[in-house]
Amino acid sequence: MLTAPTLAQIESIVHGRIRAVLAERVGEVARLSSTDKLSATLGLSSLDLAFVVAELEAELGVDPFAKLVSITSVRSVGDLVRAYQQALFPELERSADEHAVAAAVKRAQTRRTRRKRR
Amino acid sequence: MPQARKVALVSGGSRGLGAQLVSGFIDRHYRVATLSRTKTTFITKMLRARKGQHFHWGAVDGRDHEALRAFVKDVGDRLGRIDVLVNNAGIAMEGILPTMRTRDIVEVVEVNLTAALVLAQACSRFMLRQGSGCIVNISSVHAIRGHSGVAVYSATKAALDGLTRSLARELGPRQIRVNSVAPGYFDSDMVSDMAEEQKRRIARRTPLGRLARIDDVANAVHFLTSDQASFITGQTLVVDGGITC
Repeated sequence: MLTAPTLAQIESIVHGRIRAVLAERVGEVARLSSTDKLSATLGLSSLDLAFVVAELEAELGVDPFAKLVSITSVRSVGDLVRAYQQALFPELERSADEHAVAAAVKRAQTRRTRRKRR
Repeated sequence: MPQARKVALVSGGSRGLGAQLVSGFIDRHYRVATLSRTKTTFITKMLRARKGQHFHWGAVDGRDHEALRAFVKDVGDRLGRIDVLVNNAGIAMEGILPTMRTRDIVEVVEVNLTAALVLAQACSRFMLRQGSGCIVNISSVHAIRGHSGVAVYSATKAALDGLTRSLARELGPRQIRVNSVAPGYFDSDMVSDMAEEQKRRIARRTPLGRLARIDDVANAVHFLTSDQASFITGQTLVVDGGITC
């Protein structure tokens, strides 16, 4: 792609590649959900997933599984979409980390407040 | 029509068996890409004779994984496809294991095994998309029979045979074949330091009565990458004149 795709475009591209593989197997699939499990729900094999990753590398110019993400952590359609979104928008990962830290701080503050009340 | 030509990538194609394979693939109307650490006379001649037509060379150190991946990507993007990978590059470091330097052990593993894994991984991405391809790993009779002084080399070559069998299972459903060729002693840099008497002794022990010629080994590779071998995958073809039988 000549210009960087948006998050929505990345999702659409990843869905498109998965649907293309499924079309070869079971015919057209109308819609994918981010919670669909690649293997358990959709029946994709490891090799199907490798094919999808090769196609996406050619189309998006990135391979999140070279360094960033372990392929074994990808279970659902949403996991795969997020891997590419994070590879193309690294700030998302930082943002996710910051959210996690903020949530942990908030939980700790709540615990301290509860202890004081007791 | 140059784009119709298949593409072969040969690692270590600057001399010996690798150079022979490069010439053989060119003769068979392939476009050929090869990588090596240094530009040899053979590479210079090929570049001059071919003027960029059907031949591409890159200076890549097999221990540099990123450079290996970048080379494969460049070849795939430039030539549009990769039909054949021959994992030929290899080094031998003689000496018994108890006294071998750790850094020498690591170097042999890096060049003989890790580089082959990285190249196979990178090339298989193109082959998966094409729905076809062929990988040949150059193994050795040392993977089959034990010999003193080559423990690390043997380990890497036996590992390549293991890679061949498992990768054949992984990639077979996408019509990608993976095989090994295990040469016995043949006329190469690796036996150039061998004493004449030692070469004669090997020839005496070999049922066919001689060391292999480089063509014997190259022909086996060309057979395995040809359509004549279209139903052969996951195998190790031993080219040793019968010394291990």
